[in-house]
Amino acid sequence: MKNKLIVCFALLALSLNIARAGIIKVVTTTTDLKSITELVGGNKVSVTSIATGYQNPHFVDPKPSYIISLSSANLFVTVGLDLETGWSPSLLSSSRNPKIQKGSAGYVDASDGVGLLQVPTSLNRGEGDIHIYGNPHYWLDPLNGKVIARNIADGLERIDPSNKAYYESNIQAFFSRINDKMVEWQAKMAPYKGSKIIAYHNEWCYFERRFGLEIVDFMEPKPGIPPSPSQLVKVIKEVAANHIKVIISSPYFTTSSSDVVAKQTGVKELTLATSVNAFDPIKNYFDLFDYDINQLLTVLK
Amino acid sequence: MVFTIIINVQTKAQVVTDSTAADSALLKQIEAQMNSSQPAPVKTRSGISANPDIGVVGDFQTSYISKGKKNIDAYLNETEVSFQAVVDPYLRADFFVSFGRDAETGKYGVEVEEGYLTTLSLPYRLQLKAGKFKEAVGRINPTHAHALPFIDLPNAYVNYFGDGLNDEGFSLSWLLPNKKFYQEFIVQATSGRSESPSFMKSDGNRFVYLAHLKNFFTINDNATFELGLTGISGPNDSSLVTNIAAGDFTYKWKPVQLNTYKSLTWQSEIFYSSAAYTSTISKRSFGLYSFIDYQIAKRWFLTGRYDYAQKPYDKSIIEQAYSITAGWDATEFSKIELEAKTTDYNNQSRFYQAWLRWIFVIGAHGAHQY
Repeated sequence: MKNKLIVCFALLALSLNIARAGIIKVVTTTTDLKSITELVGGNKVSVTSIATGYQNPHFVDPKPSYIISLSSANLFVTVGLDLETGWSPSLLSSSRNPKIQKGSAGYVDASDGVGLLQVPTSLNRGEGDIHIYGNPHYWLDPLNGKVIARNIADGLERIDPSNKAYYESNIQAFFSRINDKMVEWQAKMAPYKGSKIIAYHNEWCYFERRFGLEIVDFMEPKPGIPPSPSQLVKVIKEVAANHIKVIISSPYFTTSSSDVVAKQTGVKELTLATSVNAFDPIKNYFDLFDYDINQLLTVLK
Repeated sequence: MVFTIIINVQTKAQVVTDSTAADSALLKQIEAQMNSSQPAPVKTRSGISANPDIGVVGDFQTSYISKGKKNIDAYLNETEVSFQAVVDPYLRADFFVSFGRDAETGKYGVEVEEGYLTTLSLPYRLQLKAGKFKEAVGRINPTHAHALPFIDLPNAYVNYFGDGLNDEGFSLSWLLPNKKFYQEFIVQATSGRSESPSFMKSDGNRFVYLAHLKNFFTINDNATFELGLTGISGPNDSSLVTNIAAGDFTYKWKPVQLNTYKSLTWQSEIFYSSAAYTSTISKRSFGLYSFIDYQIAKRWFLTGRYDYAQKPYDKSIIEQAYSITAGWDATEFSKIELEAKTTDYNNQSRFYQAWLRWIFVIGAHGAHQY
């Protein structure tokens, strides 16, 4: 009996080891990519995200500790379009991991094939932080989530072709859930189509277009430039002229400037989530839109 | 837009020559695309040009010193041009060409500040650098001057390394397989060709050897601690050997959620040198600096630094200095700093210095070390 138990445990340990050996280690730059990778990769992947959900993805500090997980990763997923240009290239080249370098099978640029907005025709830093390839906050349109999922599935299938059928079945489930949820989200937002709002930073254009909002102006006079007194005066006038109900911001911006506008005009301030895990209830990519839309409804009503 | 125009031109051409069913299918397809709320994918991406990333950093300074005849000056201290790109699937290359002003003559000269290749695909978590590079001594030496939170360099550092230990040779780094915290071990062998106060090129084949162990600990999401140990041994200007041991300690607090608004860095380095001047005379000396850099608001930084330095050739001559620097970072691409410093020697009278520095960057600008 005792011997049988030992054999059983040995076999169990062996099978666990084999299972673990088969797990694809994925490092994503953001939590949204982590969530979609988990939904597509299911139990075949173990995913870590470098940025947290409540941090500005432009300005993540390239701590050497991130290199530990990158050095043993099988797949690296990036938002791309220069969103992470200040930190991910240096981490990647320090990772000593040829599998995940740009151009390798384990490198996934989630933006491939996304219909981009605000692609500049010229670049002049006098206009603030302009992204040369277009606005990189595309994951805030749930339909772009499908493109992201496709890119991630392609990456997983490149490095793990034996589980292709599994990833394809998961991505179909993801697509149909997005379709179902889109109907629900669109229906919720339909009565507020054309609602004019103010945003802190230019990171909502994909969300705005998908859900029929109209962003009139930003608290930042130019992308990346902190709100100036003259911009506050301009926004205060716009809020009054357009009967604007809300200023939306993100967890990583301070509210001191929008507080001023709110005090002057009575406009409401709302900190929305730009990424999964920004707030406790947001556990996955679907929760992100549930949360933001429900929050918006409370102020647009 | 260009995509649409091209399609339109093609369509028109086809309409003139042929109007078959296939053509109207194409027109319908284009019509559907035009009406779709999803814009057509725009394929303007990097990699279209084979040029490396090019950046230029300007460093304009004015300075004041409370002694001497010419004690106020204004000058373009340095123009640094960088070229950076991946060479092929195995290598990347980084070049920094510096057009600098010689402090003594005031003349501008060109120098390859750094120019090295880095391997991307060596096995066993190894990475090799070859060329001219800033050596792995603690925290200040690998950092480009424009990225430091003060304008002058610490006295002890200048005594041992001048403008910096920046030499030609090889550097092999190994990322230790430690899952608990980041550990990197670096060994470097350089020719000593780029002279510094402590080391120079030997008459024979003696190289400058350096070993550095970097330990980086994550205390929590908002705080980290780094402990580095360095040993250097190489030929000096007496054709004998200087040995230097150094240690660096850095505590950083940067709240993840509001990391662009508030942060604090406490960084210190200590240096101990033993330099042989003759076969019987060997001079020992010691020096350190310690600074606290506090980010008061999104754009405002305040740095206080203390320097202690014994002269390497005579440890009885001691310098002590205090400095304070206020920095205003307009954007990621420009900053203005103002520094005031007081220096005491135990064998001469106290003097004061002040600097104003304006850093401005055009083109590409890579990430700085954390």
